[in-house]
Formats: sequence, structure tokens, C-alpha cells
Amino acid sequence: MIRKSETAKGKLITTVLSVLSLLLIWQLLSEALRLPALPGPIPSFRAFGAEMRNTLGFHLYVSTYRVLASLAISLLLAVPLGMVLGREGKIDRYFAPLIYLIYPIPKIVFLPVLMVLVGLQDLSKITLIVLVVFFQILVTTRDSSRGISGELVNSVLSLGASRLDIYRHVVWPAVIPDVLTSLRIASGTAIAVLFFAETVASQEGLGYYLLDAWSRMAYEDMFAGIIAMGLLGFVIYVGLDYLERRVCLWK
Amino acid sequence: MISDAADNNMVSVAGLSLYYGQGEGRVQALRDVSFAIPRGSTCAIIGPSGSGKSTLLYVLSGLLLDFSGEVLVDGAGVGRGRRQTALILQDYGLLPWKKVWDNATLGLDIRRVPAGEKQSKTASILKELGLWEMRDRYPAQLSGGQRQRIGIARALALDPDLLLMDEPFSSLDALTREALQKQLLHIWLKDRITIVLVTHSIEEAIFLGQKIIVFSAHPGRVVEIVDNPRAGQPDYRKTRDFYEMATRVRELLEH
Repeated sequence: MIRKSETAKGKLITTVLSVLSLLLIWQLLSEALRLPALPGPIPSFRAFGAEMRNTLGFHLYVSTYRVLASLAISLLLAVPLGMVLGREGKIDRYFAPLIYLIYPIPKIVFLPVLMVLVGLQDLSKITLIVLVVFFQILVTTRDSSRGISGELVNSVLSLGASRLDIYRHVVWPAVIPDVLTSLRIASGTAIAVLFFAETVASQEGLGYYLLDAWSRMAYEDMFAGIIAMGLLGFVIYVGLDYLERRVCLWK
Repeated sequence: MISDAADNNMVSVAGLSLYYGQGEGRVQALRDVSFAIPRGSTCAIIGPSGSGKSTLLYVLSGLLLDFSGEVLVDGAGVGRGRRQTALILQDYGLLPWKKVWDNATLGLDIRRVPAGEKQSKTASILKELGLWEMRDRYPAQLSGGQRQRIGIARALALDPDLLLMDEPFSSLDALTREALQKQLLHIWLKDRITIVLVTHSIEEAIFLGQKIIVFSAHPGRVVEIVDNPRAGQPDYRKTRDFYEMATRVRELLEH
């Protein structure tokens, strides 16, 4: 128990140190370059504090909501399908060519179509992120599900397991660690795609806020937006870390 | 006569052949295999790798049904999901994400055995096998011998009358292996389960198998079925008979 809390403390210290060193590099760079487009961390954080009380808080909320919603929808769609494709060769043979055809297409080209189909609001942005992230999670889940040892499945089958039992006792727990890894990658992608989607015909979200600050040449506000975006990613990563430790106790 | 023999045999195999793959790459794994294993006895299947020993075990367990010939278990054609057949594969088939307790109850969970019965049965088996203290650990936290015992516990929880084991003790150190072999004998003497085990160890085959079926490879065929009535006697290992039997089986394998 003591050791556990010590490592938790150690982790906190290293996290703080790494953030501090990032801020230090930022400070040094801004002093060296002396560009209005690169304000230092102190004015940026001051602007962040002021803007959060103003409208930035709302934009952060909207973006967070969009990212989390699209990650949740992608998970719900991709994980079950991935598990099935990994186990059922016949279905996979039909789907594999589709996946390989659609996966490499940069989905952002569908944004205009989506905006016509589902409107300019949340739905078109969430759909776009889902389109990108879905495939990342799907392919990882499928490969993970396919890689499960046949001997393990046979052992459980010999206990009288039905196909559903195999999914419940073997496939689902086996793919969770890989799903979490793919979610880590997907969350970065999701934020990047969201940024793009929010800069096109949009009035809310961090993407809009950033582009708006940029066009006003309000660089301190812009960096306040960047801080908010970093914070969004950071919170998601910490959440996933926590989830991984809770769910993968057996590793 | 025929029905009599069938009644006394737990397993009876006649003219079993099996192919893997299709078309050009078709490989015969088993050719015209016939043998019978009396109820309540032990049988060791020994042979070089590629002799289809494990495949045979899959057939007996009902997991592999794509064969020709006749395979009877307890007088009925072999099929999927026979409740009283337990199979323990080489890596014990433990689920790394389940604790010892949940691994041991898995068969009962899948068969939707009522909670009370599940609790009492699993508890007594875990205690008997010396796993009770470890019930809240994960398999990765245990030694190879302990993992093997979880596999045995999970199988025994189902009250099997036929226990199929694929090289059950091959990855264990010598001392653990002998202790587990004795434990298996103890279970066999107590419950009179029919035990079929695949092994590549001559010593293990002779110590545990009242009947030793010697296989040859490519394709798997029965070379000879050796009667080994003294198997199961705890002191057998130290006797002259044991060494003579070992020499005989070795010659059959080198044949």
C-alpha cells in the first residue's frame, strides 16, 4: 500500500516537472523570438483565466461534449462490429475490402455533404469525427479479436460455452486493453478533426474560438484557446489512464 | 457381445480418419485409428510430434467433428457439449482476466449452475487442490503448477466422467510434475474418472496409463496398444517392471 502511494506521488511529481519544463521552453522561445504571434505563458494564462470567465468556457464545453459524444458513439459501433469481424471469417471476408477502401479516404472531404445532410450544428461535426475514429477503433478491435489464441477459445468451448459465452468471457475481456489503446490514439485524432470541423461555417467550439482570435490578431486569446485545447486532451488522457488501471488489473 | 463391450467402454474408436485442410494442401492427421478405453481406467497416448495425438483429443472432446469412422463416448456418438467430458489443454486454457475463483467456476457459470451449488462445490475443490488461499489472485501471479491445478479444478467442478488432458505436465519442473501426477492419481482413485492423457514422456505414460497407446507420425496411426496394469500404483516408479515397460515403449516409439 505504501509503495503504491509512493509511486502515485512520484508520478505526480514527474507530471508536474514535465509540464513545468514545457512552460519553460515556451517562455524561452517567446523571449528569444519576441513575436506578437507568440506571447509567453504568463500573459497567455492570464488571458485564459479572463476568457474562461468570458466565452471560452462555453466553447470548451461545446468541444468537450462533441469529442466525448463522438468517441462514445464510435466505441458503441466499432467495438461490437470489430469483435465479430475478428471471430467470424465469413463476415470479415465481405467487410474487409470495404474497410480497406474507405479507411484511407480523408473523411473530412465529406464535411460539405454532411453539412447538407445533417445541418451545421453538432450533428455534422460529431458525424465527421465518428467517420474518422470509427475505423481506427474498428481495425484495432478486429485485429485484437482475431489474435485471440484458438486454444483459449477451444478450452472455453469444451466447458460447454455457446458462441455468446465466448464473446462474453473471452473476446470482450481480451480486446479491452487494445480498445483502450486505440481510444488513446483516436482521442488525439478526434480533437484534430474537431478543430477542422469547427473552423468551417461554425459559431461555437474551440476551433471557432481559435480561428476567431487569430483573425482578430488577439494572440493572447488564441493561446488561451490553445491552452484550453491542451487541457481537453490532457483530461481525456488522464481519464483513459485511470480506466486502464481499473479495467486491466490482471495485466 | 458388441453391446456388452460398448457398455464397459467409456471411449470406443473404430476406423477413425481425419484430414486437415482442403484440396492440394490436404494432410492426413489420423489414419484408421481404433482402440477402446474401459470405463474408470486410465489411458496414455504417446507418440512423436505430428502423430495427431492432440487432434485425437479434440475429436474425443467433441470439438472436432469433421472425421470419418466411429467415435463413441459412453456408448453414444461423440458430439459437442457433452456435459461430463472435461478437456484440459496444454496451456490450461485459463482466462488471464479472471481470478482463480472465477476461472474455477467458469464451467459452472456457463452451465448456469445455481449460485449455492456453485459456491460449495468450487470451494471444496479449491481446498482439496490447495488453491483456496489463492482464490483472489490472477493466473499471472501463480506458478505453473498452481495454474495447472486451476485447470484441473475447473474441469473437476463439472463432475466429469471423462477427463481428457493434453500434455498436462509437460511445462512443469520435475518435482512439481511428480506431485501433480500423484494428485491426479489420487483424484482418479477417489472418483474413478476415466482419464485419457496425451504425453510425450515415456515415464509419465507408464506411471499414469493403464493402457498405453503408441502412435506413429505422418499420418497418425496406432502402432501398438500396451496393457500396463500396474499403472496407478504409487510405488510403481521404483520397480523393475517399470523399467522393463519403459524399454518396451521406447522400442515401439523408435520402431
